[in-house]
Amino acid sequence: MRSGYYKETLVEHINLTDTRLQRAWIFIGLIALVAAPYFFDYYGLSLVTLMIITAIGAMGLNILTGWTGLISLGQTAFMVLGAYAYAISTESWDWSPLAGFALAGLVPAAASVLVGVPSLRLTGLYLAITTLASAFIVNHLVLEFDDLTNGSSGIFVNRPTILGFSFDTDQKFYYLVAGFGLATILACLNLRRSRIGRALIAIRDNDNAARVMGINLRTYKLYAFVTSSFIVGISGALYGIFLSFVTVDGFPFLLAIEALAILIVGGMGSIAGAILGAIFIIGLPEVTSFAFSAFGDRAQSMFATSAHEIKGLLYGLVIILFLRLQPHGLMGLWQDAKRLWSLWPLRY
Amino acid sequence: MSYLAELLASGLAVGAVYGLIAMSFAIIYKSTGLLNFSQGEMGMIIAYVAWSISTATDGNPFIVALGSIVFAVIFALAVERIAIRPMMNEPILSRIMVTIGLSVIFRASVILFWDALPHGMGMPAGEVLVSLGGVQVRAAQIAVIVVLFFAIAGIWAFFRYSRFGIAMRAVASDDSTAQLMGVNSGKVQMTAWGAAAVMSGTAGVLFAIGAELSPSLYALGLKAFPATILGGLDSIIGSAFGGIIIGITENLVGGYISSGLKEVAGFVIIVLILMIRPYGLFGEKRIERL
Repeated sequence: MRSGYYKETLVEHINLTDTRLQRAWIFIGLIALVAAPYFFDYYGLSLVTLMIITAIGAMGLNILTGWTGLISLGQTAFMVLGAYAYAISTESWDWSPLAGFALAGLVPAAASVLVGVPSLRLTGLYLAITTLASAFIVNHLVLEFDDLTNGSSGIFVNRPTILGFSFDTDQKFYYLVAGFGLATILACLNLRRSRIGRALIAIRDNDNAARVMGINLRTYKLYAFVTSSFIVGISGALYGIFLSFVTVDGFPFLLAIEALAILIVGGMGSIAGAILGAIFIIGLPEVTSFAFSAFGDRAQSMFATSAHEIKGLLYGLVIILFLRLQPHGLMGLWQDAKRLWSLWPLRY
Repeated sequence: MSYLAELLASGLAVGAVYGLIAMSFAIIYKSTGLLNFSQGEMGMIIAYVAWSISTATDGNPFIVALGSIVFAVIFALAVERIAIRPMMNEPILSRIMVTIGLSVIFRASVILFWDALPHGMGMPAGEVLVSLGGVQVRAAQIAVIVVLFFAIAGIWAFFRYSRFGIAMRAVASDDSTAQLMGVNSGKVQMTAWGAAAVMSGTAGVLFAIGAELSPSLYALGLKAFPATILGGLDSIIGSAFGGIIIGITENLVGGYISSGLKEVAGFVIIVLILMIRPYGLFGEKRIERL
């Protein structure tokens, strides 16, 4: 809360940036994004790539859960659909990767209508269960149609070549992912300040009041479902390329928990929060593994053998601790810090 | 004919397991408005503790039963006190997320504390094969059906006649009015969690005796969701019958259509049910006042 700073027109509210300082930060962020491959080694770069892919998925879920207030446990379903749509169209049908990415968004979006329409009458708990059910049904369908999806043995995915430019090395693939990340951020920011974005937030805050103001709940909830799963599908396709192999086992249910944990850690409904949360959640197991290695080889090998379990344990603890101690997430912490900084030595 | 009878018998047995877990969902939902996503995992942890007791005591069924019930109650009260109670007045989204967080923690800690391999429970008493009209059934499978019917009768009587049961119903229908009438809603929540843990623990242990004990036992909790939805989240007795319906349907689908479809039959059923009746088959229609 900077004092003496007022927004007087609607345009000022809608503008993406409001101060020179903010523009400077965005510029620094862009430079860091471009320069990252020159500072990280092989492992570090793959970690950053994974963080961006996860952040894209989290921003997608944020539209549904953070803005519209619909809890979804079906994140993995849409990721699996996106990854398979991309893998089948580019590898089996030899489509160009651009068309593959489009399909990776459209298939989950279409599927989300199937999940969304019966869910429109449901709220809270019931919705969480139907989306959970959709995750299992999708996995089953993938295994059932094995002449299309290759069943449980999966599909090998090559790095894409778009418009004659090949993203074959890790560095080039990083730039592709970073481009998708920026596009997602812009799309989400623009959606947030449009009529649709404001309507979605109105639905979350009070659905009855939103209805009275002329927002058609069914239409707008479906919008949220479709846009959210489009973005999540893209992140699923990128994740499939990142793993260079698409199987049902590559997308465990833990990913859905991970995405919700990211939103909680970052701060519900905030795009910057989704990005910060993704960095935190993907970085957490690495930091923990580093901490384990300080306890000697035995601790390290224990960590290596049960990495999946320790990850689950960490996610669970992080979810519960953040909900208990810092319900507004990292973004809330940041706001508190900002307020403290500008008001000090006064408290308010 | 005997194939059908076998499918029905094993469907009834597994349905009773789902029914018990579905009742645990419903009893917590009814008294606190919270759906405990970690119920299946709690049942799994209780089954693992029962296995540890059973290997230490050569599978004496009475010691195992007593030990696991005592553990179930202590475990549930600890979870309720540490993780759930502090979130009592938070929005529903945060409270659900806490139970989802718990479920991931429980799943991971079972593999960390014990191991990821499947085990027999080592209780010969439960594995005796009984022949019922030409169908071979394990004693544990009969036991789980019997337990389910006792649980239904007990819970019905408890909510109908006991003073505390009526207090629980009061909390379920209106939390703050019940508190004004002198009902201790914290105690109600503790009782609900304890009862739910005992029921889902029993289900977990008996299922593990009949089949095997493995870290995928938590899936019982997922399978019980359709049962609860079918019965209506706020109908405890309805959930029990929902479990039996889901168990039998699953086995018939697995036996006659495809074994792959068996795993998701329940989920397909709930998606269909929720399209037609969003409050479940036996659930009360919720009318909201603005």
